[in-house]
Amino acid sequence: MKIYAPDGAVGPTPAGLAPAAGVLAGKRIGVLDNSKPNAGLLLGRMADRLAARTGATVSVVERKNGALPAPDDALARLADAEVVLTGSAD
Amino acid sequence: MSDASPQLLDISSDDPEALLDCYAARGWGDGLPMVAPTAERVDAMLAGCDGDEVVAVLPPRSGVATVRIIAVNAVLAGCRPEHLSVLVAAVRALARPEVNLRGVNATTHPVAPLLVVHGEAARTGGYNSGLGAFGPGNLANAATGRALRLVLLHVAGAVPGSGDASTQGGPAKYAYCVAENLDESPWGGYAASAGVDGPSAVTVHCGEAPHNVHDMESSHPEPILDKVASTMTTLGSNNAPVSSGEFFVMLCPEHAAACAAAGWTRGHVASYLYERARMRAGDLRDAFALRAWAPWQEAIGDDAGMAITEHPENIKVVVVGGPGKHSCVIPSWGMTRSVTVPVEPQRPSGSTAAPQGRRGAPSEAVARAARERSERERE
Repeated sequence: MKIYAPDGAVGPTPAGLAPAAGVLAGKRIGVLDNSKPNAGLLLGRMADRLAARTGATVSVVERKNGALPAPDDALARLADAEVVLTGSAD
Repeated sequence: MSDASPQLLDISSDDPEALLDCYAARGWGDGLPMVAPTAERVDAMLAGCDGDEVVAVLPPRSGVATVRIIAVNAVLAGCRPEHLSVLVAAVRALARPEVNLRGVNATTHPVAPLLVVHGEAARTGGYNSGLGAFGPGNLANAATGRALRLVLLHVAGAVPGSGDASTQGGPAKYAYCVAENLDESPWGGYAASAGVDGPSAVTVHCGEAPHNVHDMESSHPEPILDKVASTMTTLGSNNAPVSSGEFFVMLCPEHAAACAAAGWTRGHVASYLYERARMRAGDLRDAFALRAWAPWQEAIGDDAGMAITEHPENIKVVVVGGPGKHSCVIPSWGMTRSVTVPVEPQRPSGSTAAPQGRRGAPSEAVARAARERSERERE
């Protein structure tokens, strides 16, 4: 007998992943701290160490609520960076 | 957008085990037996309405919730055709941006959307608003609540471990549907107070499982509502650090009658709870380094009582249940707002126009007039 699958089609996704930045030397690194515990500390140190190791610079650090999308003005400021570090969970 | 027609699969027989095996192999289902969604059953569920209408696109999967795919999940859950319009309205409500469904589905919190059915749809659909309304035992409540969860699992992709990161999960994630006890509400229907003035409506509130409020001995509002306030003020709730969070206070008819007998309106109940549901600001600060409070709340001194929510309008009062003296409080997840929408007749197949009686969201003026009329009736 035949039955329907329950999931249906997938619509357009609102955003996709950007291609990897490749060589970081001379690039600007941004940090988007999602306010989860220690996220700012973890992401900030990662950015600093990446910058020290590769010759990149940390150009912008933004903070957002952990449960909501980043506000447009924060995203606009992050657009200055070629690489953005974000996404830390509880 | 890709083809929205559901895929047809072959299973060996109509046995529940065959369906379970077929679905489990694909990561589908809620773990319980289901009704096989054959074309005949889905067509019967649709009852001639337009299955291709897109109701919403649901995150995080970006799943396209057509009326037909909602009907497939309704069949799986055991719904009857008269429940479909309620389910479609609930999906439409969940897709509203203020619900923040992406966050609701993805969080580690045990949040589940509570579906409250109001008015004529509750009566015609056989929903239970009385004794044992939160379950078990009523097909409409159980099946519609379950179907909404199946839509979230299958269409939205809120699957534990991928689209749903809930640390412990929760029983409310199986089925969470109840009807408002309009017959025993001394204040009229909740939907009208929320600005939706029509024969039928649904509310979705993304919150925790119910927290009991027990008061056997009081016949006046204050002691009953002080216990409600005590239940609202817990450091374990997301609403403690998130001041915009809502509370649904589901009063049993006897507690509601005690409030109304003293001349208290629904708004009075909310205002009293706003004043009484407070915790020492310093204790809240000590408990939460990360807070999402309104700016003025940060100016409150440590020894002052801090309201557990930043505005009385965040306290929603609905009458639910039967005889007895147990009410409940349903704190929200925090970063979400409840939504009330009308239940509309489904668009007939082949029609491009809205059916007669189909209504959009009321204008602000209409909503305000409804609220004022409702308040006058209560005074």
